[in-house]
Amino acid sequence: MRTIIRAEHLVKNYGEFAAVKDISFEIREGECFGFLGPNGAGKTTTVRMIHCVSPITSGTILVNGLPADVDNRKIKAATGVIPQEMTLDTDLTVFENMMVFSKFFDIPRREARKRTDELIAFVELEAKRDNKISELSTGMKRRLLVARALLNKPALIIADEPTTGLDPQARHLIWQRLRLLKNQGTTLILTTQYMEEAQQLCDRLVVMYEGKILKEGSPRQLIDDEIGREVVEIRIEAAEDARLIADLGPLARGHERAGDTLFFYCRDGRAIQKKLVEMDLPNTVYRPATLEDVFLKLTGRSLVE
Amino acid sequence: MNLSRRAFLVFYRNLVSYKRFVLPTLVGSLVQPVFYLVTFGIGMGAYMGAFGGRGYLFFLVPGVLVSSVMMSSTFECLYGAFVKMIHEKLYDSLIATPVSAEDAVAGDILWGAFRGLISGGLMMIVAFFMGVFPVSFPAGLLLCVLMVLIGIMFGSLAMIVTSYAPNFDFFNYYTELVITPMLFFSGVFFPLDNFPAWMKTLAQFLPLTHAVEVSRAVYSGVYGKGLLLNLGFVLALTLLAARFGLGRMKKRLIK
Ligand SMILES: Nc1ncnc2c1ncn2[C@@H]1O[C@H](COP(=O)(O)OP(=O)(O)OP(=O)(O)O)[C@@H](O)[C@H]1O
Ligand SMILES: [Mg+2]
Repeated sequence: MRTIIRAEHLVKNYGEFAAVKDISFEIREGECFGFLGPNGAGKTTTVRMIHCVSPITSGTILVNGLPADVDNRKIKAATGVIPQEMTLDTDLTVFENMMVFSKFFDIPRREARKRTDELIAFVELEAKRDNKISELSTGMKRRLLVARALLNKPALIIADEPTTGLDPQARHLIWQRLRLLKNQGTTLILTTQYMEEAQQLCDRLVVMYEGKILKEGSPRQLIDDEIGREVVEIRIEAAEDARLIADLGPLARGHERAGDTLFFYCRDGRAIQKKLVEMDLPNTVYRPATLEDVFLKLTGRSLVE
Repeated sequence: MNLSRRAFLVFYRNLVSYKRFVLPTLVGSLVQPVFYLVTFGIGMGAYMGAFGGRGYLFFLVPGVLVSSVMMSSTFECLYGAFVKMIHEKLYDSLIATPVSAEDAVAGDILWGAFRGLISGGLMMIVAFFMGVFPVSFPAGLLLCVLMVLIGIMFGSLAMIVTSYAPNFDFFNYYTELVITPMLFFSGVFFPLDNFPAWMKTLAQFLPLTHAVEVSRAVYSGVYGKGLLLNLGFVLALTLLAARFGLGRMKKRLIK
């Protein structure tokens, strides 16, 4: 597959503060590439440099062979952006938002009308066509942001936390729409803090933390490499750790204590499960490993600010 | 500088949104200038006698007209632009399209100038009812062009202020310390001739003084010899302020 975005030694400083610290990555045509990371990891900062609204401190990004730069209209013309912040035009109606936005992409009026109607239907906002933005719910606004990002028929879509703050229905609707676009060949860049979202949508992803990339791979591969297949959680006092680790440690790939819980990571949990039954411990959970475990293992299980 | 025709698209966006606010803004931009015209023009006019053979209103109208252009374009590029930048995040969505930061800001300066033109145009119509007309029809049209130019000048100056503004209150410094005094030191209401020398000198540094002079000349058809200087001042400041304003706003919008 062709590489459509290549970032090398990317650095972004806001004054003294380093928000992105020398990261490199490649995004291939037609894939969904994820940036997974906690608040402040530098996800938004990174994607804003890709779609040319934030100057790069050092390093390079090539998008389809063109250097990303704030004055590069070509990249912006071919990219659809679903921003993290609600940047809808609050003075206008849903319909007007779409029509005015198409002007910025030089879409002829007739074509703009057609696409607007189609896209409003695509995100199921027909009933709100002539409502003002302030009359929409958060989920509807997000959907409109999706529709607006598609006006220019972009080959690349950047979705910055597209489902944060949405109810499950709205979230699934957006996921379905994004998957549909991907199946039509659109390249997708997704930033998210939701593991489920990353697991559902991303072909490959990077885990970002404090401006750096910690790991890269497909969700499955990351889980396999970092955790294994299964996780045992035992809620028990730390005083018991030594005894438990001595007993269970040899059966697991690794263990970790976080707060009131001791975690064991394993490839095949049957042996450990049998042992647990023998030990007859209360408060144990035995479950498949998820991306969340990877994420928490890499970024630390305690709260970070 | 990365300026393109797309500035007009941003202007168009403002036009679409404007239709909901037309009435209140028209009333808003009319009241104060009409108030000046009536109190100064009719009230004081009685004491002022004739100015160069014509009534005081002929002196006053071109000045008040230009002042209302100044007020409208200034307020649009202070408060209007600030709301778009901070509260509505409108610029953020504009610059994610092929519209550049310069296009977006230039579109709003043009918009401010257009709002100035509307205020000034309305004033001109009000003045018709008071029997004050420009010397000829072409002069009236020329005046409209002039109003746009003056609107761009004051809009650009206001954008510079906006680019530094941390919050709304910051604008008070500009409106109270620059705009309001300028209204009274630029020969809008009284001829500068009778002012002390230092005030006359000061007035030469105020953009409004020059704008008023040009407007008065076009209105009356009497082109004095200082006129080219006045026009030169307006043109030069417009270019300078627009360039600096765009540059400053770009820095603020693109981080
Ligand atoms: N305009 C700015 N000026 C100064 N610092 C900034 C600016 N924008 C972001 N930062 C800082 O850069 C860091 C990365 O921010 P960024 O928005 O990229 O994080 P994020 O991964 O998108 O987080 P979130 O999940 O909360 O959206 C943060 O520490 C943030 O405070
Ligand atoms: Mg973010």
